Amino acid sequence: MTILDVHGISKRFGGLQALSDVTFSVPAGQIVGLIGPNGAGKTTFFSTLVGLIRPDKGAVTLAGQSLVGLKPHRIAAYGMTKTFQNVALFGDSTVLDNVLTAGLLRHDVQVAREEARRCLDRVGLLAVADKQADTLSFPERARVELARALCTGPKVLLLDEVMAALNPVEMREIMDLIRSLRDDGITLLVVEHHMRAIMAICDRILVLNFGKLLADGTPREIADDPEVIEAYLGRSMEKHA
Amino acid sequence: MEFVQAVIDGLLIGGVYAVISIGLTLVYGVMGIVNFAQAEFLMIGMFVAWFAWAWLGLDPVLAAPLSFAVAFVIGWLVQGQLIARVLKAPSVAQIFLTVGLLIVFENGALMLFGSQFRSVTTPYQTMSLSLGSLFVSVPYLIAFGMSLTCGVALWWFMRASWFGRAMRATALNPAAAQLMGIDAGLMYRIAFALGVGLTAFGGAVILPYATVSPAVGSDYVVLMFTVVVLGGLGSVAGAVVGGLTVGVIQALSALVFPIQLQNLILFLVFIAVLAVRPQGLVGASR
Amino acid sequence: MRSWMIVAAALVVACLLPLSLDPQGYWIRVLTFTFLFAAMAQAWNIIGGLANQTSLGHAAFFGIGAYTSTVLLMKFGISPWIGMFAAAGLGGLAAFAIAIPTMRLQGHYFALATLAFGEVLRVIANVWTSVTGGSSGISVPFSPPSLANYSFKLLLPHAYIALAALVIVTVIFEAIRRGAMGYRLRAIKENPSAAEVIGVDTTKVKLQAAIISGMLMAMLGTLYAQVAVFFDPDTVFSAGSISIRVALIAILGGIGTPVGPILGAFFIIPLEELMNDWFSASAAGLSQLIFGLILIVVILWRPRGFVTLLKSLSAKLPGVSA
Repeated sequence: MTILDVHGISKRFGGLQALSDVTFSVPAGQIVGLIGPNGAGKTTFFSTLVGLIRPDKGAVTLAGQSLVGLKPHRIAAYGMTKTFQNVALFGDSTVLDNVLTAGLLRHDVQVAREEARRCLDRVGLLAVADKQADTLSFPERARVELARALCTGPKVLLLDEVMAALNPVEMREIMDLIRSLRDDGITLLVVEHHMRAIMAICDRILVLNFGKLLADGTPREIADDPEVIEAYLGRSMEKHA
Repeated sequence: MEFVQAVIDGLLIGGVYAVISIGLTLVYGVMGIVNFAQAEFLMIGMFVAWFAWAWLGLDPVLAAPLSFAVAFVIGWLVQGQLIARVLKAPSVAQIFLTVGLLIVFENGALMLFGSQFRSVTTPYQTMSLSLGSLFVSVPYLIAFGMSLTCGVALWWFMRASWFGRAMRATALNPAAAQLMGIDAGLMYRIAFALGVGLTAFGGAVILPYATVSPAVGSDYVVLMFTVVVLGGLGSVAGAVVGGLTVGVIQALSALVFPIQLQNLILFLVFIAVLAVRPQGLVGASR
Repeated sequence: MRSWMIVAAALVVACLLPLSLDPQGYWIRVLTFTFLFAAMAQAWNIIGGLANQTSLGHAAFFGIGAYTSTVLLMKFGISPWIGMFAAAGLGGLAAFAIAIPTMRLQGHYFALATLAFGEVLRVIANVWTSVTGGSSGISVPFSPPSLANYSFKLLLPHAYIALAALVIVTVIFEAIRRGAMGYRLRAIKENPSAAEVIGVDTTKVKLQAAIISGMLMAMLGTLYAQVAVFFDPDTVFSAGSISIRVALIAILGGIGTPVGPILGAFFIIPLEELMNDWFSASAAGLSQLIFGLILIVVILWRPRGFVTLLKSLSAKLPGVSA
């Protein structure tokens, strides 16, 4: 069953065409990687999916529900949310309160608190639940953000560079977590720069460059795609090869 | 004809409103704070000019540079000692610091000078020039002329002088400006002192046709804010456009509405701009 | 455990306080206004403290409340108790009307817009003579003293009603702060985009807070009308004596805390009365000047308000947990 349908998404900022006619479908339960050079439009694309940015053209459908023109909180209620690349926690609040607030989408305060503790446990941060969020290290905050997104009870979870600044052990744990989330029935779109991680966990990879969808295929297909190689490394490299 | 007369009066008065309000927009543009006490410096400028007239026999228009200087010094101290401390604080702290200043200045003046209204008499106060069937009031004209001079001087300062360009750089990007060797703290002090000085200058210039009392600031607060919001908070050119526009709106509404409702028109314009186009007619969104 | 004991003790003291004062005297009036202003500051605290939107226009709701109940009593003989609920309705409506255009405005812009709204209403009240009596003010018609008529011979019942109002507004404040709405408001304050993405309807929550605050403030306006018996637009719609003052009280006491507005009111209102006594007409403006200076000092050195002084004091006492 197709859980996410993206059709013809385009967005222009002044003179810059940030996204051009992005189109693809995702069946439920897939882990989809989204890669591309810096400035390719990946974060802009995620923002468009969750409703923070309105596309100029195009449609997004989640489990049959059209998301066009909806505000982010409605989209979250329908089951799609994202994490922020630079981590957007509520710094003055405790870690638990951060996640609890997300739980309020579907539960009252008591139950949301239980759910929040469950989500924090899932990312291994239950021990710091009562600490103030901005006292944590960057990787810990990224994981709190993941727990918070999880606590909204999403069908589709968009992860924007959750593995930034992680050591190999931590990366391993996140990769296992992502897989276990998929096993629980969540569909994931993952933006990442760590190639090996992407190749290892993703069923499928989308490549974005200058706002256009360059390629869409299995990790193997993408790795061998000459256009992808050129996008990342540039034509000059080929001359030297 | 009444209409044209009103427009002329409106433009002349509006020019002064522009000078009075430029300081407010300058401070916001460079430092990002709204100085709720700005109108108090108008009051200070008017009092300085009044005392210069009462004690020295000086025409208020000639005393205007003195008003500027006094306000400049006070502003320099206020910015350096008080406002600088809340530049990084949440907006509620910034708002209430300047509100506190408003309370201190207004009541300080009340204690020093008493609540009575004072005005000046000048030889040209009731004179007017006639252009056909239209009249151009001489005090208005002189006030406008002084404002124009002041405006040109400011324009030169902002465009051509090092300080002016350094201030604009600080407004655009404080971090980069610092890296270029510009002392941001100094720029803020200059901007603030200059801003309140200009407002005080405007106060002196309108004294021939206005009255001063410690509470006079509150008469002009909404007007000043309407001017800068209409033109765009942060835009000096906007303050000019806003000033002229507000002057004309006020003059035209005086033809139709009683005095209490005239203010209402301004308030409604103010709210409409904030709701529909907060960045104003000229300004860019901050 | 301990904080419950303190609250209970404070309530007992508050209930006994009016009885200890001369019922004909001056201080019972001061106490009544202290309770009233504390309640007003607490209503402001919902918007200014929890929602972090500095309103400088709360007099709009206050004045609407005072005039609504008084005009209903005057023209239709409706009891002020019912008038109070009509006032709440209009106050809520006004809050909605003000909140919509100002929704997207931040910090300073929001303060300016609300200031303008308050002033608009003041001018309208001054001009709309047929309804409000214009700038010469309006008198609350005399009713035979009874609880049902909200009319009393002594000030004592007024003091208790004001105290009850303070308790009720504070309970509502706490219910918001500790409940789901509190979490959502805190999220909106810290990062509105992130709040939206995790499912917080930022517009709806901000509107709810605004409407509750406006309704409560309007009801307190009715209370004021019954105590003051006479008022005019420049008093009840005043930017300086109402809007700025209630915000100031909450800020000095401790913005966003339940006890802040109470501390602030008990500091400012009696002190103001004392200073007006001591200095009288010869130094008009001195008491306000001093408050202006106190405000500046607090903003610079204790921006979280007096409540932080209390916290550091209690931290120094042995055996006290926060």
